[in-house]
Amino acid sequence: MRKHVLLSILIVFTFVCFTFAAVDIEFWHYWDGTNGEKLEALVSQFNESQSDVHVKAVFVPSSSIVSKIQTSALSGRTPALAISDIINISLIADTGKLVDLHPLIKADDYNVDDFYSELLTYGTKGDTLVSLPVSSSNLGLFWNKDLFREAGLDPETPPTTWEEIVEFSQIIKEKTGKDGFELYTGGGEGTTWQWQVFLWGANGEFLSKADDYRTAAFNSEAGRQALQFWCDLIYNYNVSKIAPWGLFGRGEAAMVMDGSWMVQFFPNQVSFELGSAVFPHPANGNFATNMGGEQIFLFNKSDEETAAAWEFVKWFTQTSVQVEWDKATGFIPVKKSVSEDNGYVSYIKNTRRLLLPFVEAEKYAQARPPVNEYPEVSDAFAREILKAIHNRVSVEEALGAAETKVNDILQ
Amino acid sequence: MAFIFLIPSVLIIGVFNIYPALYSIVLSFFKWNGFSPKIPFVGLENYRTLFTNPEFYNSIGVTIVYSLLVTIISMGLGLLVAVALDRDIKGKTLYRILYFLPVVTPTVASGIVWTYLFDPSQGIINRTLAFFSITGPSWLTDSSWALLSVSIVGIWKRVGFCMIIYLAALQGISNSLYEAAEIDGAGDFKILKSIKIPLLAPSTLFLSITGFIDSFQIFDLVYVMTNGGPVDETDVLGLFLYRNGFDYFKLGYSSAIAVAIFAILFLLSFVQWKYTGGGDEN
Repeated sequence: MRKHVLLSILIVFTFVCFTFAAVDIEFWHYWDGTNGEKLEALVSQFNESQSDVHVKAVFVPSSSIVSKIQTSALSGRTPALAISDIINISLIADTGKLVDLHPLIKADDYNVDDFYSELLTYGTKGDTLVSLPVSSSNLGLFWNKDLFREAGLDPETPPTTWEEIVEFSQIIKEKTGKDGFELYTGGGEGTTWQWQVFLWGANGEFLSKADDYRTAAFNSEAGRQALQFWCDLIYNYNVSKIAPWGLFGRGEAAMVMDGSWMVQFFPNQVSFELGSAVFPHPANGNFATNMGGEQIFLFNKSDEETAAAWEFVKWFTQTSVQVEWDKATGFIPVKKSVSEDNGYVSYIKNTRRLLLPFVEAEKYAQARPPVNEYPEVSDAFAREILKAIHNRVSVEEALGAAETKVNDILQ
Repeated sequence: MAFIFLIPSVLIIGVFNIYPALYSIVLSFFKWNGFSPKIPFVGLENYRTLFTNPEFYNSIGVTIVYSLLVTIISMGLGLLVAVALDRDIKGKTLYRILYFLPVVTPTVASGIVWTYLFDPSQGIINRTLAFFSITGPSWLTDSSWALLSVSIVGIWKRVGFCMIIYLAALQGISNSLYEAAEIDGAGDFKILKSIKIPLLAPSTLFLSITGFIDSFQIFDLVYVMTNGGPVDETDVLGLFLYRNGFDYFKLGYSSAIAVAIFAILFLLSFVQWKYTGGGDEN
């Protein structure tokens, strides 16, 4: 009799344990420093807020996360959740192991329209949506107020057009002998993604969206204007030079295009007063910027794990958590409701003023083409335009050659 | 019993050397980005694309120029240093250590430090030149200087190794030969030309083969210092392979590049070995 009672208790206990045990899921990320600490804090907050799901955040260095995801997909040992740089989402989706979020969004009436629509470009694969943005960054103008002052310019008035960049740069060059504007001529994606802002500012397109990004569209009037502008800064106006990156930081150039993340670093690195602004556009163009950042995605697992991972994604992407996240990390909001949140806006205005232009610029942000071949396209493109930047070929020849190469890659 | 002791070595070499090498040959006939579950067989397409790609030939040219510069100049300098340090001079051990230090310095660290030295406005090299009223070039961003600048670092890293090999060989040359030469009235230069250099031939052969093979596989130094730029002037084969494999995720294509590099190296080593007498001391 006693045996039976004991057995019954054991069975009930096991049943209760299994029924009420939290579902454990792994979340791979590469946020370190302050960002990593904040993530850990948020994950703990989530774990403590409920008892159904237990998320374990696993740090993987950013340099190896793509290859780790690659091998985990091949061996079938993927985590339930992971993040990646937006530019790799398309490639990771190629594993065929990412969960389509549409059914989950529909079932929960989750407001996906609150995200900046350009950010969703990266996760859209045909009719499916495989990732959601969780952090963003973009490019803007930084200027050296001390050099502006030295040149007799108003240190509080940055240029708003390309024409003003030239005008201010020439004055700076004449009065201080320093370069007006630093260009990224190191090649690769660094050159391409900065140049794209000039292209978009001149109302151009990089790859043809109408053709599903399968043909080059940069060999256009806007493309010629953008590349000619770079070459003119170097050879016509003599206010920029081909040099290793870092002139602006050392006070050897008065203006530079750089990312919102530098708001964190520049103030500790430079010995002059800094200003930041939305990046100027040509008189005949519009404001534009390029976006970076991370997106979160779910790997195909059991229904239970998928539901658990989705719970965390919903929690992590809700406005109040994102406000906290962006305030701590300096990431640019991925949702309109965060950019408009009073608490967030007053925080930025009062304590992170340099970040304000970047938050404003997010609405002008454009997405780099979400194609698997993007890294190769970007690199091939930079190689060709650098030939014009090094004055080896004309702007037209460089863009023509880049067009041929890019179309070959995408065919 | 002996076989059991061999197992660890065989396993390690098999798993980490032989299998990947063979697998990359197999992979060179496929088109795969490492992510997609679809791995289509494409036959010789990767090789066709490779042999019609001007970037490949540019990389071969760049790599050959780099390898020749590094191999020949480091051997020349290494020989001079070895001859100088083969005498009884004060502090010769210290000199030997100093010359050998760059060999054991990690390449990436060397590359980063040299990048600072080469900085056109802040670097110590151009500042020193400026002191003598010489305007130094943009070492790493000027297309006509970049390859030479990277080669300088390659040479700096290899001179010590050449010195050690030559020094060891010099010490193996019998003193009686020098004495006989001196009796015959030969001076230092004559001894160097007619005794040392001919007797160092096996070391020279060894250094030229290993130097060429090592330099041909250069990757880290260029990756850190110029990343192939400016305008592909330093785009060595190793970087070309890496870019295609790990930036563009074209694993099949980059395997084809690896096979091509192997074939080139094999051929070059064979020719070099044959033409230099196959290591025969006579």
